[in-house]
Amino acid sequence: MTKFLSFKSILTFILIAITGFLYSKDGVITTSVVATALIFGLPLALAAMVGIMCERTGIVNIGIEGTLLFSSFIGFFVASSTNNGVFGIFSAITAGVVTGLFLAFMSISWKMDQIIAGTIINILATGLTSFLYTQGRMAPTTTPIDIPFFSSIPFFGQVLFMHGPLVYFGLVVIFALYVALYHTSWGLRSRAVGEHPGSADTAGVSVFRLRYLNVALAGAVGGLAGAYLSLELVGSWDRGFTAGKGFTALALMIFGRWNPMGALAAAMFFGLTQAITNQLMFSDVAHIPEQFVNMLPYVLTIVVLAISAGKVRPPAAEGLQYEKEKA
Amino acid sequence: MNKRITAGAAAFALAALGFALSPASAAVKTADESSCGTAGAFCVGVVTDTGKVDDKSFNQAAWEGAKAGASKAGGFSKYIESLDSKDYAANIDLFASKKYNVIVTVGFLMADATVAAAAKYPDIKFIGVDQFNGTTAANFSGLIFDEDKGGFIVGYLAGYLTKSGKTAAIAGGPSTIPPVRKYIEGFANGVAYAAKEQKKKLAKASTVYYTGANAFNDPVWGATTAKQYLSQGYDVIFAAGGRTGNGGLAAIAKKKGAFCIGVDLDQWLTLPEAHGCLVTSAEKRLVAGVSSLVGQIKGGTFKGGNFVGTVGASPYHDLASKVPAAVQKKVSATLKKLIDGSLPTGVKQ
Repeated sequence: MTKFLSFKSILTFILIAITGFLYSKDGVITTSVVATALIFGLPLALAAMVGIMCERTGIVNIGIEGTLLFSSFIGFFVASSTNNGVFGIFSAITAGVVTGLFLAFMSISWKMDQIIAGTIINILATGLTSFLYTQGRMAPTTTPIDIPFFSSIPFFGQVLFMHGPLVYFGLVVIFALYVALYHTSWGLRSRAVGEHPGSADTAGVSVFRLRYLNVALAGAVGGLAGAYLSLELVGSWDRGFTAGKGFTALALMIFGRWNPMGALAAAMFFGLTQAITNQLMFSDVAHIPEQFVNMLPYVLTIVVLAISAGKVRPPAAEGLQYEKEKA
Repeated sequence: MNKRITAGAAAFALAALGFALSPASAAVKTADESSCGTAGAFCVGVVTDTGKVDDKSFNQAAWEGAKAGASKAGGFSKYIESLDSKDYAANIDLFASKKYNVIVTVGFLMADATVAAAAKYPDIKFIGVDQFNGTTAANFSGLIFDEDKGGFIVGYLAGYLTKSGKTAAIAGGPSTIPPVRKYIEGFANGVAYAAKEQKKKLAKASTVYYTGANAFNDPVWGATTAKQYLSQGYDVIFAAGGRTGNGGLAAIAKKKGAFCIGVDLDQWLTLPEAHGCLVTSAEKRLVAGVSSLVGQIKGGTFKGGNFVGTVGASPYHDLASKVPAAVQKKVSATLKKLIDGSLPTGVKQ
């Protein structure tokens, strides 16, 4: 643990030092790159939260991709039909809850293999959205809100305080989830259910109910991520829109050790490497083949993971069915 | 047990990244397919690459061209959407087994599969949209375009429209795909040519290529990359590449004062979310190209080799008022010079 902590602080220090140095060289580009890291990373971080909330209570969720795809679709098309963005966002969140409940239903009530249950969600979401999709639609999208005073701070203003409303909301959700998971009785119970449902049950926690609740809530967070993608980031929807973001999020969840802050950091790191990759090509600094440059996010993530991860341990009861009196 | 599940989950996640999860193939019938292969029947089949047939871009144009050509010839047409690049050959075989007269394959990525199929089925004519035909097969014609000219002309316009002097091109695929590279390099040279003509010092157009696993199919990457450019003051951006490009166009449309340029088709007609910025599109007249090749086959004048279609810049539509009349005139004059070859684009073929 101490090794991890020291590595983490060293890495943070190096990142800050590099950022400061680059900022002194070219403020506009450095600010833009770091701001882009947040734009790239936030949906991944939110999607990773879906995985964390499910797996912490013992449900493996392979269907994050499906949740993102389905909710981004519903959000966009409801916003488009009603011409109301807020309505679209709420519909996306509802759609996320629906996929969450469906997963819970299959894996808790029907006691299906959870990997298969998640895969069903992915396949269903792809099929349904592709079937229902009609081209040439427009939807109202969120507009960026510059937070007074804070947005005029150099560097930090553009990086943190000049985004659309869902970025702020998403960040709040992630921090709230962190606090809830480690500092509330709900969090303690959830983690207990994910580690040893038998003991939690003995202590009077309803394993089924809590698992249902958490998987549904996770779906809501996934819906938020979907709404962010279609109604704030892109402002459009197309078949196969999410292009594997939900699977990247699963990897980031493990990278972040099933901890919301860890996953957020992992997602931001991944987003940063993406933005840097882009910038290397934008600025044409070196004539490196773009395939090589594009490997960077993945290679760097693997390197950092290899150094920092140490022992990664998933929740003990993850993926296992819980049956009363048998555990 | 747990570890195994996690490892399994991670492996699955990684594996799944490689696939574009796609729905079952759809097909449209305008007549009965069973008559294909009988005397007098004329059947045209289109096999898309992993994009969809209503992708507002490439596959759609090829399909529309095939439909138009077939209906002019009194034939019937049908398409198969490929779910995965592994399915190209199987989908071609499907049309061949039903004795189609013409099979249109869409996109550079299908070139190898098409060459193989043309050798395997000498009685069927193949049209390879956006595929350079390097073979001598008499039953296969590549429909190619001078993308460098299309990119050059919109780059030239960009050079006149930019206020910040910073122009950029976002490619939805890697530069190893020749049409992608030619568009992007043509754009950069067009900007440089406009700068020279105006005796202005414009920055060299910045370019970025996507090389991930979802080439032409990652609108989120397109949008994010466009935003990164916008935040650095780039004000005319060419977003070229299927749905990746479309995502970029939609994101740019939300920024006031920025121009975006579409690709392959007149995207004004198909992408309303880009209306805020879409000044023109580097257009391949794909529909005309495919339908005239289909007509050649019907009329018996079809030759193998390659057929060069025409390129151009799409109408300015609602943004015409933002393009000064003098510039509009210069653009059409320059386009003429590009097409007749008197103005070289300087892009390696």
